[in-house]
Amino acid sequence: MDKILRNKKAIFIFIAPALIMFVLVLVIPMVQMVYYSLCDYAALTPPKFSGLANYKKLFFKDATFKIALKNSIFFMIFSAITQQVIGLGLAVMLTNIKKGRNLFKNIYYLPSVLSSAALGLLWAFMFNPKIGINNLLAQFGIKGPLWLMDSKGFIVLPMWVIAFVALWQYVGQNMMLYMAQITGISRDIYEASYIDGASKTQSFRYITLPLIKPMMVTSLSLNCIGSLKFFDLVYNMTQGGPNHRTEVLATELYAEGFNYFKYGYASAISVVLLVMCLIVTLLVKKVIKVETYEG
Amino acid sequence: MQTKKSKKPVKPVTVILYLFLIILAVIYVAPLLWMLSVSLKDNAGVMAAPFALPEVFHWENYQQAWTMGKLGTALVNSVLVCGVTLLVSLFFGAMAAFAIARMRWKLSEAAHTFFLIGMMVPVHCILIPLFVRFAGLGLTNSRVGLMIPYITFSLPMTIFLLTGFFKSMPGELFEAAAIDGCGIYGCFFRIALPLCRTGFFVSGLMTFVGNWNELLLAMVFISDPVKKTLPVTLTYFVGPYATNYVQMFAAIIIAIAPTVIVYCLFSNQIVEGLTTGAVKG
Amino acid sequence: MNKKRLLSVLLSAAMVAGTMAVAVPAYADDTEEITWMFWDDLEATEDLVSKGYKDVIDRFNTEYEGKYHVTPITTNLEEYDGKLNALIAAGQTPDVYICNPGPNMDVYVNAGAAADLTDILENQEKDWYATFTDGIFDRLTYDGKIMAVPTNFAAACVYYNTELFEKAGVEVPTTYDELIDVCKKLQDAGITPISCSAGTAWCLSMIAGYLCDRSGVDLQAIADHTANWTDDNCIAAGEKLKELSQYFQETAAGDSNDQATANFYNGDAAMLVQGSWAIAQINGNNSDFQSKCGVFQFPGIDGANDPNRMIVKTDNLLMSSTTEHQDAAIALMKMFTDEEAQKYTAEVAGKFPIIKDLDIDYDKAPAQLKYVQDIMDKATGTFGFYNESLASVEAGDCFDNAMVDIFLGNQTPEEAFQTVQDFYEENVWE
Repeated sequence: MDKILRNKKAIFIFIAPALIMFVLVLVIPMVQMVYYSLCDYAALTPPKFSGLANYKKLFFKDATFKIALKNSIFFMIFSAITQQVIGLGLAVMLTNIKKGRNLFKNIYYLPSVLSSAALGLLWAFMFNPKIGINNLLAQFGIKGPLWLMDSKGFIVLPMWVIAFVALWQYVGQNMMLYMAQITGISRDIYEASYIDGASKTQSFRYITLPLIKPMMVTSLSLNCIGSLKFFDLVYNMTQGGPNHRTEVLATELYAEGFNYFKYGYASAISVVLLVMCLIVTLLVKKVIKVETYEG
Repeated sequence: MQTKKSKKPVKPVTVILYLFLIILAVIYVAPLLWMLSVSLKDNAGVMAAPFALPEVFHWENYQQAWTMGKLGTALVNSVLVCGVTLLVSLFFGAMAAFAIARMRWKLSEAAHTFFLIGMMVPVHCILIPLFVRFAGLGLTNSRVGLMIPYITFSLPMTIFLLTGFFKSMPGELFEAAAIDGCGIYGCFFRIALPLCRTGFFVSGLMTFVGNWNELLLAMVFISDPVKKTLPVTLTYFVGPYATNYVQMFAAIIIAIAPTVIVYCLFSNQIVEGLTTGAVKG
Repeated sequence: MNKKRLLSVLLSAAMVAGTMAVAVPAYADDTEEITWMFWDDLEATEDLVSKGYKDVIDRFNTEYEGKYHVTPITTNLEEYDGKLNALIAAGQTPDVYICNPGPNMDVYVNAGAAADLTDILENQEKDWYATFTDGIFDRLTYDGKIMAVPTNFAAACVYYNTELFEKAGVEVPTTYDELIDVCKKLQDAGITPISCSAGTAWCLSMIAGYLCDRSGVDLQAIADHTANWTDDNCIAAGEKLKELSQYFQETAAGDSNDQATANFYNGDAAMLVQGSWAIAQINGNNSDFQSKCGVFQFPGIDGANDPNRMIVKTDNLLMSSTTEHQDAAIALMKMFTDEEAQKYTAEVAGKFPIIKDLDIDYDKAPAQLKYVQDIMDKATGTFGFYNESLASVEAGDCFDNAMVDIFLGNQTPEEAFQTVQDFYEENVWE
């Protein structure tokens, strides 16, 4: 067996197609991106090398970048905690019910399939100062806040709103990942534990949790990377406004590159984003240790 | 276990659980119903009362959206591009993931992280270098030119998810197969692939949905109207000064209908199949 | 392996489709093929200006059949610059492309992506050049070189609901103080005075731009740093914006441009400050509204600047500096500015022609066009939208955002203009 698994030629054949495409389409432009981040580059004119000037401006002078960084980190922490807990919770609930499991699962996954542009518009109507939620609150004599335009506090209200909408939209994905893993756990194990007198809570704690640990790493990493790179809902609901207060890293780099034509600067933000993603994934891997089955 | 309990009277916990799930389901279905309602109104009506039901049902919105948005052609393009992307990325991704998860080589962990980096690159920033390269190869304005980046962008996610699934497969299965005279390719095709249905479903779903809704690359890479994909044609309804909401939503409903239907069909079959005990530890 | 066979069939099908895609469409050998890039789809559009452009394209392809042929490349407005940049970077600049005036156009001109049209206009095509309205090229000229040809222009005015004005017993205001008075009376009569979108920053910024200009802010002086954003006239404009914004609809902070305009044509607000493109949008969505929609120019401020200056904006065509089909591109640009196209612009699309001596049939045109035309006839000067008149796109955004902050009450006018001042000190003046 061991010999089969060390077959160099087979490894090469298995890896090569993905690797070749990956290098040609992703890695080379990525290297270019890193180079552009060291340049004064406007896409239409050739890049001029400018050393660390972009990074210096980014970290020492750019107030918007600080807001974007703060919002992105907030968004990542919020998403990671809420989506994991609720996603896992839903998965456990759904695997434990008998009727309508698929129906509920399909419904909860639904928003992930819908286009963010349409959902952004829906929620913009929903959080409009008069119609939508505030109209509902007015019936009870409560004056609702400016959901998407308020600008007070360390994390502004619109950022919380977007974070909750994102939770609503994407929690289905985490649920799906966990369900896939839980349904994969052999039912014999549970049967055996119940015969031994274990309660449902105990079987969750001692069987489900350890067995879904690999999925936890996967789901959490995807979650963190996805929320650091998050773009769609912010762009469609507030476009980073009012006055950059809901800017996240991805929307800022979009504005710098596509509206202000500062590709070099946008590349520098991308590099920062990439490094943050890397650090977070490595952290996730370190914190949740997984023993793999060795064959 | 569950069959035994079904004969007992319904527990209050179950009732609360279902109540909770149903309320949640309403919150999740409501937006879709709202989109449906908007798609049947007229534009002035949407602005005046976005949450009211349409007074007159403007079914013609659908017909107009279909012809004006050239949704027929766009649907074919989207199915072609996303379908090929799905199959190729799953196949290539599964091969790489298998090598990373199950085979023994020094760099497997490094390769895993390396592919993972692909998920961290913001597409906005590599768009122009990528376009310039593809233009040099004559691959812009072609559907293949769109499939290649789609496949590549789908690979990291596919590899990442499938690695997890392959790793959680019991090693005894492969040992048994090896004893029966199965080679490494046999192990891959006859054991790993068939057992990974859930993995394929989950990663396929996630990458497919992403590609189906992808706008930026499709918009920049394709200029020829007969090759445009659905998300691009949906923007036809956004004018420079005003948006034609009703037809846009009619078009959106048409665009998501196939994904929702296909998703519902497949998801039921696969999870159902698994819970009836396809995997034995 | 059934799956594999299916895969290979699909793959080869895709490859075939791909090769076919690369093949150039077959026209007669001597037909010169050019491209024109635009920010709206010509088939699905409801925008009347875009529809007019489609007519021009169709007319061009019929008239020059066998000689020239133009293919439009369209995106939506959001992705327009991204795609155009990518095409230019890859050396596939469209032969003719549309562009906003101001800093956006600066980018393409400075990058050398636009051809110098001076010689063509002043020498080779004198007759064509002579048809244009005087001064229309001013904002399109860089160091004495004409870099673009305009296709139409729009002017920003105040639209008002005559019925609501009558109901509240108020007259059209001519000064800022009268405007405030009108707003008060409308409000007392239970009518929302002004519909405005602060959610779409440029809508608010249009009002701010007028207030600044009326207060005597001189953008050229600011660009040369002989004046500052923290000068009294800027602050005064900010104070007035703050004062005026009390009379906006309650939901101004969250409404989009579409919503604010709809508020007006649904009769929920008495006034709307908008570009003349809104005429088509208003009449298109509520055809009964035409008879009760009046227009007046933005009121002046007593003892300050000339009150007859108008905010205007042109749509412009740039020619690629690398085009190999200059004659075809010029022929296309000519067709965009010929009498037929210009008449359509005025009579149907509600924008203004850029050529002289055009016989417009005002009975065919929407009623408001005549009102705006009358205002324009009195105009003593024009200036651009503020966000398109500053040093860069980013500077324009910075101004817009500062105005939103004044409106929201997050910053006092002093603080808000200080941020614009800081931006200029950091990035523009140096």
